[in-house]
Order: sequence, then C-alpha cells, then structure tokens
Amino acid sequence: MERAQGRGIPCAITSGMACVHFGVAATTKDCDVLCQAEKSDEFRALIAETELRGLLPHYRGHISPPLDARWMRGGWTSHFTWKTRPEETCLDIFSVAPRGSSAWEQQLQGIYARFNVVAEMKRTNREKDWPFATSLGGQMLLEGDLSGWLHLYDLEVMRQALRTAELPAQLHATRPVLSLAPFTDTLRAKRALMAERMFWSELDEIRVRIYQKHLRPYVTAVRRASAGHRDLGVAAAHEIRIECAARHLPQSPMRDYGIDRLIAEARENVGVTMGHDVLAWLPAAEGNFHGL
Amino acid sequence: MNAPSMPSPLVPLTPARRRRLRQIMREYHARAFGAELARINFLPEKRRKQAVAEMIDHARSKGVVLSRPALGVTP
Repeated sequence: MERAQGRGIPCAITSGMACVHFGVAATTKDCDVLCQAEKSDEFRALIAETELRGLLPHYRGHISPPLDARWMRGGWTSHFTWKTRPEETCLDIFSVAPRGSSAWEQQLQGIYARFNVVAEMKRTNREKDWPFATSLGGQMLLEGDLSGWLHLYDLEVMRQALRTAELPAQLHATRPVLSLAPFTDTLRAKRALMAERMFWSELDEIRVRIYQKHLRPYVTAVRRASAGHRDLGVAAAHEIRIECAARHLPQSPMRDYGIDRLIAEARENVGVTMGHDVLAWLPAAEGNFHGL
Repeated sequence: MNAPSMPSPLVPLTPARRRRLRQIMREYHARAFGAELARINFLPEKRRKQAVAEMIDHARSKGVVLSRPALGVTP
C-alpha cells in the first residue's frame, strides 16, 4: 500500500485488516483494498511485479473480473492471489466502497480507510459483520467524532453511550432510528433497529444477486479461453478477462438495474416481513451509492 | 438524500466520559466477540496485532480455513 501510495495511486486497506488496525480483531488473512478506478492499470502493474515469498501473483480463479477502470467503477471486485503456503495470500480490490456515502479517497488514515468508510462497508447481509460496525462507531465516539452514532446498532450501547457522548439532532435525518433517543421504549427501539439492519441486509443481498447473475457466463468464457490454466501470468490472464468481460459483464450493473428500484425492493421486503409501519425508521440510502 | 458521513469536527470527550465510554465498549466487545477477543481488542496496537496473528496461526494449525471464496463482488 505504501508503495502504491508513493506512486500516486489513491488506495487504502479496508474491511477485516482495517478493523484489526482499529482495535476490532478479525480472523482474516485476506486483504481488502480500495483503489481508485482510474488508477487500475497502474495498480495492476504494481501487483503483477510484486513478489511475495519469491512468488508472483495470479488472478484468483476464473471468476475474478479484470482490474480495469471500466468495470471497477461499476462496482465489480477483482481478486488476486499469491500461492504461498500453507495458505494462499489473497487480495481483493474494489473501487467503489459498498454503501459508501462519500468519497473514500478523501477519508484515508495512512494506508487505511477511515472508520466510517469501513463501518459502512460492514452493513452487509452477514450477521457477523454487524458487531464490527458497532465497534467502529464506538471508536469514532471515543475519538470525539459524533458521526459514530450512525454506526451503532446495539441498543444497550446506544442507551449507555447517550450518557457520555452528545447525540446531534442533525443526525436524525440521516438515521431516523436515532430520533427514538433516549431509547427507553425498548421494544419499539429494538424493532426499529431490527428493521434497519434487515433493510441494509436486503439491499446487500439484492445487490450481490445483480452482480452474480452476470458472472456465470463470464466464468465459463474465462475458463474456456484460459484452456483450463489457472496460473497464467497477470498480463496474459488480464487480456483474456478483458475480452470475456466485454462480452459478458455489464460495466454498470447497479445503474442498469436502477438504484431507486433496488432501494424500493429492499424497503418492500422489510415492510412485508416486519410490517409497513417500520418503514418510517429506515434510512433513505440514496446517498449510500457514492461513486456508482 | 443521506448527508455524507464525512469526517466531522471532533468534540473531545472529558477524560471521565472517555473512560466510561471505553468501559461501555469493552463490555460490548465481551458480549459480541467473547471475553478473549475483547481482551485482545483493548491491548495496545503492537500487542493486539501480534495476538491476532497468533490466533490466526493457531486456527490454521488446527485446520481452519480463513480465506473467503472469490465472488467477483464484495458483500
């Protein structure tokens, strides 16, 4: 990361490794990296020449989309691996921070993405990710950043934190659940928080489905074009992937699908499951597709 | 449209409030991640990263696979 930043490539470590850095242990050895789409070629060249324990990297499997600005700015993720032992070393690269509400390039802390970028990315459809978001929100409050309130999803923490950190009223517009402070109506607050988490989870599930739909023909095409070789050098594999992606991967699947449609479907799913009265507590979310 | 969560002006907590909030978060970490991870999470940075590396090595030595599958899209 330091070498990439030294070459003028805006990039940052995020997700699990950033969490470890910020004091929330995660047992991942995969490294998730944000890289500005426009610098994809430079970053790919740097990866291609970077040895790890004497090994050069490869694109990971046949599924990885190319690390190319055209697809990266549409929200695709590109995967690389160094076949180290006992386990491979994996690098996942993306240019659009999922659920990001602002430009991550402007929110770096050394080689890491800042708390809020990582916390927004943790609003996934995986149960295990939510405690990371709350913990990062707590860290932000500890540092005096009151926008940490946007990332707390545990009622007990929220209730107790009110006695230590001010909750600015202007955050209510971004996160309506916060207007339930002081959160003394326990069942109502719990229900609102459940609805909120379910909403982000639904958004994520639909979003992943949109991308995965296009991957099956792409994987088949890459496999065929690679003649079964998984270990082609980055340059050779890249050419094949570009050719296959041009035929099978839309460059902006989310935009094609429609952000408004995506949000409406996630809201409807929450309404049907939990009752339409909870929709009032859901965030607008239109601002959480920054960069797409 | 959501307001962007750009870094906002910092409002430093008093030492007493900071201690209290740290305790609240420590208790939360114990509830959410378990006592051992909570202990590790509140270690100084160098020791924390070392403890996480040891934990990962131990898990691997017991056959735990920690890599995620490549999906082509990040959840």
